[in-house]
Amino acid sequence: MKARRLVWLGLSFVFAAAIIVAWQLISNFGLVSPIFLPPPSRAWNALVFNIERGSLLPYVLLTLQHMFYGWLIASFLGVAIGSLIGVSPAVRAYLAPMLEFFRPLPASALFPIAIAIFGLTENMLLVVIGFGALWPTLLATVNGFATVKPRLEEVSRLLGMSRRKFIFSVALPNAMPEALAGMRLSLTIALILSVTGEILSGSDGLGRWVMLQARGFRTPDLFAGVLLFGVIGYLSAQIVTYLERRLLRWRATP
Amino acid sequence: MTVTSIKRPVRPDDAAEAAPVALGFKGVDVVLADKLILAGVDLDVRQGEFMCLIGASGCGKTTLLRLAAGLLPPTKGEVRYLGNPISEPRRDVAVVFQDYGDALLPWRTAAGNVSLVYETMGMPASERKSRIEGVLAKVGLLDHAEKFPAQLSGGMQQRLQIARCLAQEPAVWLMDEPFGALDAMTRHALQDEIMRIVAESGTTVFFVTHDLEEAIYLGDRVVAMKPHPGRVAQTFDVKLARPRDRRLTPEQPEFLRLRRELYDFIEADH
Repeated sequence: MKARRLVWLGLSFVFAAAIIVAWQLISNFGLVSPIFLPPPSRAWNALVFNIERGSLLPYVLLTLQHMFYGWLIASFLGVAIGSLIGVSPAVRAYLAPMLEFFRPLPASALFPIAIAIFGLTENMLLVVIGFGALWPTLLATVNGFATVKPRLEEVSRLLGMSRRKFIFSVALPNAMPEALAGMRLSLTIALILSVTGEILSGSDGLGRWVMLQARGFRTPDLFAGVLLFGVIGYLSAQIVTYLERRLLRWRATP
Repeated sequence: MTVTSIKRPVRPDDAAEAAPVALGFKGVDVVLADKLILAGVDLDVRQGEFMCLIGASGCGKTTLLRLAAGLLPPTKGEVRYLGNPISEPRRDVAVVFQDYGDALLPWRTAAGNVSLVYETMGMPASERKSRIEGVLAKVGLLDHAEKFPAQLSGGMQQRLQIARCLAQEPAVWLMDEPFGALDAMTRHALQDEIMRIVAESGTTVFFVTHDLEEAIYLGDRVVAMKPHPGRVAQTFDVKLARPRDRRLTPEQPEFLRLRRELYDFIEADH
């Protein structure tokens, strides 16, 4: 079992290495101009240089801040609104089609509207991130309420639970696995929207920094920034996965 | 294998008759989705009585139990608890379901599942702990208090459901084929355990089963139902001394006679 996992891990490393080698070869043979595609070695050097100089850290922190606050707003609202909708089957049936309409809307399309209403402000950014990243968590929470086993509803009735007690002790914990999966998805959306938002609104952050490097044809720096996005996305998803594993401990059978 | 000691005295028949009616069904019809499930059910379960309900599947045993639990209103007739019509579930009427896996909260530990009852009652947290321990100790789960249901065996999960019902301090137990999903060894152990618990607290039991020997072994009275539509067909008094013994009781002539009668009753349909 453990050996199998190690083999798979090894294979995925080999695959990643193969991509980097291919990238390096493309640059070496001049298949694509280094102005558009610098070799990975230079992108790496640019990344190390910028990190060592400490010039990237403030931007990274700003982007993390946008992403995290936006995600926090989305998660809180997603669970809260999802509970309000989920608690009543009638409301659920009534609002479900509308939610399905909002969900696939590309949130980045909201930037022009939000800019018109809120201006080029940090709040505008948070509103769009919060709104865009809301849906996976909200829909998962609604669904988590809908999937409470009929037997558990009976037990709740038999014990004489109040509606409030039912929501907090039965329905919400039941929705938890799905809501957490939704929060993991919404984290990715929050990152995407933070970057897009910074580019569109000129708020400081890694997104804006990357755009400026592109405009100045400093492609190694541009690629360094993109690599960093990958790292941020990966690490934040890992953190939520860790949280999921801890909070959903009860599902495991060791 | 130890013989469980049961302090409950053998009641003379007339004393049983004199006990007040705990659960009373009178002229009960139930129609679900245009189908007549129960027709004209008259049945009294007296206080302190261990009543076992048998019958082929689909004859409305569970429906009758759900009526008693207040989970379902009768279409016609009356269901009373201590003389008062049942309209809602009551906390002193506890239900043990067969599907313990679905009836427990999987995200709560054994202690947490019991705690749910006390939380719902509004008992302060300081008082809960010792109560939870007491109830878990009664069913032998004290050492597993911090385990989640998924970490417990089927028999232990059913014990946990029984513990949660104990926390309700019920005057009536409604049990819906509670041991039907368990292996024979576990089933026997739990049968003896439930008899001990019931004897200690002197509660009334409404026990649904399709296992005839289980019905005779546990019951003071076995009520047999017939299907299409579900109705009470016959009542068998079980005049077997208590405490009952796993090895000796099933060998007694009375046990064998009843077993024969019940098999004949069930066979009569085929």
